[in-house]
Amino acid sequence: MEKIAHFFKSFLLIELLKGMAVTGKHLFSHKITVHYPEEKTPQSFRFRGLHAQRRYANGEERCIGCKLCEAVCPALAIKIEVAERSDGSRRTTQYDIDLTKCIFCGFCEESCPVDAIVETRVLEYHGEKRGDLYYTKPMLLAVGEKHEAQIAKDRASDAKYR
Amino acid sequence: MAEIKNYTMNFGPQHPAAHGVLRLVLELDGEVVERADPHIGLLHRGTEKLAEHKTFLQSVPYMDRLDYVSMMCNEHAYVMAIEKLAGIDVPLRAQYIRVMFDEITRILNHLLWLGASGIDLGAMTMFFYTFREREDLMDVYEAVSGARMHAAYYRPGGVYRDLPDTMPQYEASKIHNASAIKRMNENRQGSVLDFIEDFCNRFPANVDEYETLLTDNRIWKQRTVGIGVVSPERALALGFTGPMLRGSGVAWDLRKKQPYEVYDRMDFDIPVGVEGDCYDRYLVRVEEMRQSNRIIKQCVDWLRKNPGSVITENHKFAPPKREAIKQNMEELIHHFKLFTEGMHVPTGEVYSAVEHPKGEFGIYLVSDGANKPYRMKIRAPGYPHLASLNEMSRGHMLADVVAIIGTQDIVFGEIDR
Amino acid sequence: MINIEIDGKRIETENGTTVIEAAHKAGISIPHFCYHKKLSIAANCRMCLVQVEKAPKPLPACATPVTEGMKVFTASEQAVKAQKGVMEFLLVNHPLDCPICDQGGECMLQDMSVGYGGGASRYHEEKRTVLSKDIGPLVSAEEMSRCINCTRCVRFGAEIAGQMEMGQAFRGEHAEIMTFVSGTVNSELSGNMIDLCPVGALTSKPFRYKARSWELSRRRSISAHDSLGTSLAVQTKNNHVLRVLPIENEDINECWLSDKDRFAYEGLNSAERLTKPMIKQDGKWQEVEWQVALEYAANGLRHIANGAGAEQIGALATANSTLEELYLLQKLMRGIGSDNVDFRLRQSDFSADDKQQGTPWLGMPIADISRLDSVLIVGSFLRKDHPLLAARIRQAVKKGAQANIIHSVDDDLLMKVANKTIVAPDALVAALSQVAQALDAEKNGKAQTASAGAVAIAKSLSCGGCVAVLLGNFAQQHPQAAQLQALAQQIAALSNGKFGFIGEAANSVGGYLAHATPGTKGLNAASMLATPRKAYVLLNVEAELDTANPQQAIAAMQSADLVIAMSAYKHHATSYADVLLPIAPFTETSGTFVSTEGRVQSFKGAVKPLGEARPAWKVLRVLGNLLKISGFDQDTSEAVRDEALKGVDVAAKLSNTISAIDTNAVSAAGGLQRVSDVPIYATDAVVRRSAPLQATVDAATPQAWLHSEELKKLGVQVGATVKVSQGQGSVSIAAAADDKLPRGVVRVAAGHAATAALGAMFGTITVERA
Repeated sequence: MEKIAHFFKSFLLIELLKGMAVTGKHLFSHKITVHYPEEKTPQSFRFRGLHAQRRYANGEERCIGCKLCEAVCPALAIKIEVAERSDGSRRTTQYDIDLTKCIFCGFCEESCPVDAIVETRVLEYHGEKRGDLYYTKPMLLAVGEKHEAQIAKDRASDAKYR
Repeated sequence: MAEIKNYTMNFGPQHPAAHGVLRLVLELDGEVVERADPHIGLLHRGTEKLAEHKTFLQSVPYMDRLDYVSMMCNEHAYVMAIEKLAGIDVPLRAQYIRVMFDEITRILNHLLWLGASGIDLGAMTMFFYTFREREDLMDVYEAVSGARMHAAYYRPGGVYRDLPDTMPQYEASKIHNASAIKRMNENRQGSVLDFIEDFCNRFPANVDEYETLLTDNRIWKQRTVGIGVVSPERALALGFTGPMLRGSGVAWDLRKKQPYEVYDRMDFDIPVGVEGDCYDRYLVRVEEMRQSNRIIKQCVDWLRKNPGSVITENHKFAPPKREAIKQNMEELIHHFKLFTEGMHVPTGEVYSAVEHPKGEFGIYLVSDGANKPYRMKIRAPGYPHLASLNEMSRGHMLADVVAIIGTQDIVFGEIDR
Repeated sequence: MINIEIDGKRIETENGTTVIEAAHKAGISIPHFCYHKKLSIAANCRMCLVQVEKAPKPLPACATPVTEGMKVFTASEQAVKAQKGVMEFLLVNHPLDCPICDQGGECMLQDMSVGYGGGASRYHEEKRTVLSKDIGPLVSAEEMSRCINCTRCVRFGAEIAGQMEMGQAFRGEHAEIMTFVSGTVNSELSGNMIDLCPVGALTSKPFRYKARSWELSRRRSISAHDSLGTSLAVQTKNNHVLRVLPIENEDINECWLSDKDRFAYEGLNSAERLTKPMIKQDGKWQEVEWQVALEYAANGLRHIANGAGAEQIGALATANSTLEELYLLQKLMRGIGSDNVDFRLRQSDFSADDKQQGTPWLGMPIADISRLDSVLIVGSFLRKDHPLLAARIRQAVKKGAQANIIHSVDDDLLMKVANKTIVAPDALVAALSQVAQALDAEKNGKAQTASAGAVAIAKSLSCGGCVAVLLGNFAQQHPQAAQLQALAQQIAALSNGKFGFIGEAANSVGGYLAHATPGTKGLNAASMLATPRKAYVLLNVEAELDTANPQQAIAAMQSADLVIAMSAYKHHATSYADVLLPIAPFTETSGTFVSTEGRVQSFKGAVKPLGEARPAWKVLRVLGNLLKISGFDQDTSEAVRDEALKGVDVAAKLSNTISAIDTNAVSAAGGLQRVSDVPIYATDAVVRRSAPLQATVDAATPQAWLHSEELKKLGVQVGATVKVSQGQGSVSIAAAADDKLPRGVVRVAAGHAATAALGAMFGTITVERA
């Protein structure tokens, strides 16, 4: 009996038709395709993208050159040189992140005691030649200035969890 | 008559049907495999040696990159090893979060496996369906950790941050109008837990779809039934773990046999196969997804009812809260030391293993009391599986090798490490 | 011996030791801040509280002496609670500075907090603040709020440096560490306070914000700036020396380092560094390739050797050149055929040269200084010339040793001096012979005819214990140095003691071992300059600063046809040299220094040579090759060293014994006599270019110091400019009064640009109103 049932099942291509029904059903359902770049997938406020250096509202750069991020960076992607500024404060003279080394683990942001180095939501950046992804301090500050509003909003959303 | 000779063939590392960077040297007699000789090492990054030169915390993101389709499970074994050695108490909530994400990761892994295996054997559509569900889980990954894959979310002592109260949403665009956006964001209105729960409710139906497409499909069965049969005895002798072992009918699962975290409070079953062939392993994996879904649901329920801390308050091992480091000296010092020198783990050695989607993933850690491991050894489940490739594929046709590699669920990140 | 038990471990220890010492000896660590093994016990930080059986309260381990059968628990509940409590109190007022604090990463407070303190703070009130203080160019006290009042710096000043420059003022909440007496810390050992400070309150000013401790790589090295052979850790980053720290060496420097050794590295990165070979063509300096410069130098030397004769070539090196450099230099000269090579540039009396049995040295190991019962120090600016040796003698004096001084100036040694005889330089021999006479009388029971001062010194020396006579830089540079040596030998023999020279520079002993001294045919440093040669080869020499008679030296250089200057710096040599060859200072080359106690210590370069500078031994080797002299094919500095010391038993070679020197006091010349010291931060080229050292009080522009009676005689007010002249040269400097100076002397420092126009370091000098 089972044999016969099996014969019919297989002769009538039941399981194949069932499978095609699944496909057919999806032919008429809402498409889930995201039309990048006109449209983007949802992005978390914790997103770890391109780095930025932030400034305080008065324009003073936040970074005090404590080098915690440099120390904790597992990929040794950060290079910092520090010197005393004319007003006696501790400031970086060089703050480079080699994005080709960076593994975007977020430890730099986690370690920063003054919220200076952050990872932004920016994921669409590129370099056209070797060295373009070696971000220096002015480049990082520029990213920070451009996205400060979003950065501040995201840090505020995440503040209660950290 | 011309003399017939065996010939050898390089299957990969650039072969479309080979997984990752596997270089497989096949000795063929016509189309029949006489010998399969996998060569490894093309993705070797020296993770074990690197760990000896990094603080305990710094190695966490490197764990993600081992088996890069089951990121958090790798992290789990590693942080558990540190916790065991240092005797760190992990808050219960963190344990639930970890179990939940372990299971999310398992589904992620199995979905990728199902999609990729389907493609390998000609079932193109599978890939689209499984990646649709994967996308939702990736969003969960991103919502909690900020990264879709390399989460670096687990920490010695718990997890980095609590689950957020909101889920990222689609934004209006010229492709979709407001009502479409509203529909797309429907399940994203609540917290991450709400979204996960919604997923759990949807997911069994999705699995049914996969099964409709494959389980009874004659081509699928022709390609998998009776292929790569491993007897329970051989599976044990070869060091199989995970679905590879269970597919051969051995009910071995660390979540049941050596329950860690809160698995002993979870209600779930261990599926086992009968024949030990590729088809059975497929069935085991599909059933595991259903069981994982059950576990996730239980975790969501518990997590909703029990808010609390998600990382140990012992600041010798886990950094203090951000707000505290800006006001208090003790916290600032501990923050500073943890991020520069790192934690000091007491002298000793430990082996900690988790039931990884691919099998038993273990970290053997030796500490000499310093801020870096003296030695770290990774027990990657894929390694013994790949080692059995010769035995499993001998006598099969060339095309079956693809099915066997697929069923082994090989990922080179962990094998080459 | 006493038996105690710490944490269940049975320990046998000497009576009188404290619990913390016993524990450390047994390898059990007890947290502490104020305790330091070299300093007195203060017990004010309370961090080392431990539980002692039968004691009702926890006791400070640093101030609790061991008693028989004592049972100590360092990690019991009571002890841990006490330590946690102390840690919490220490952090109550500590500012949230870790991210910007230079100490971060090597801070005891951080380490103890993580190791023994709690993980969370309970303090929410205001923190106290302490105002910053400017205490000089070396030590930064900018952030005194970080201070935990352990008083290590205060005790260091009072006990080791001999001068309590820091103190704790006010009480309780208001207690703070500040300088008193003077506004700045001027000790020549002040840098040690940085090491001692367990927190970031006292930090290094030149190092401020330069690097984190974990970024630095450490290389062992040996001090190049004095003759003790101090063990150093040179810390570098990106091929730059950023810091120098002591390495503990109980036999030499204990755990200290003089400021000179600590901060001299700033001179290594000076803008004056010579980084490319240069030759002078038509009166203009041009940068050239090494090959060109070396060939130019070799051809010049060959030309003079073939023309005027090899004896017309003279080689001068400073005593802080390495053994290898000195050895190859003399080998080069002797290969050319000249015997004129010398490294004793500031010496003026060479009459002992053929009467000397061996290589002059300290006469005993440095560690033995601590065990002396009585010491006679002749002609030494001890504190400034040998800061760590002075500290060692200071410790010996504290333990009861007697220090006796015969000198021409009476600088404060910051220790109790038993007897001192301060006489003009020309009376030094007489003063010493009086002591010898008094000793002779004391020993043989004759009637005392010597002066009362000499008798007192003789009495002190004949105590029967461990006795030594030490001849300082001043005595070695003295025009009657040989006689002083002979007398010292006599005194040492009479008092059953030892005698020796406190070497002037890093390789004062090594120079002899390298044979960088003229043989019987050759000219010594003084004669080479007195009878000008046609060509000079200079190694590390700044002719107007490093020689006994700058006037003569400059004249000799200017009249020479060829001057080849091997130097790390572009200095005054540009006015007289023809070739400048950039060589590497001690951090950039490997080499060997033989310390004054005869310790042969080799070191490796810590960084790569700056620019195109090369190690001098390599330069000399190539010069040897170009001149086709055999034996210049060493591949490493170690090979040069092994060749130089082949078959040499250094210990057997060391001997101060001298024979056949007549001691006859010369009649006093009329007029004022010059007394000159080489200021502490003017001793060698590197130190002279260290900006922070040059900003210290010790590096102030030299003045003409006279007794106020002498000033009155001249009719000069203190602070007025006077014209000081010697020979043809004169300089205008300020006059200053020092009533401790003997009459008839003017103290004018040598080795400084401001006085480089003057003549010999000794002899007559005139001072007039400007």
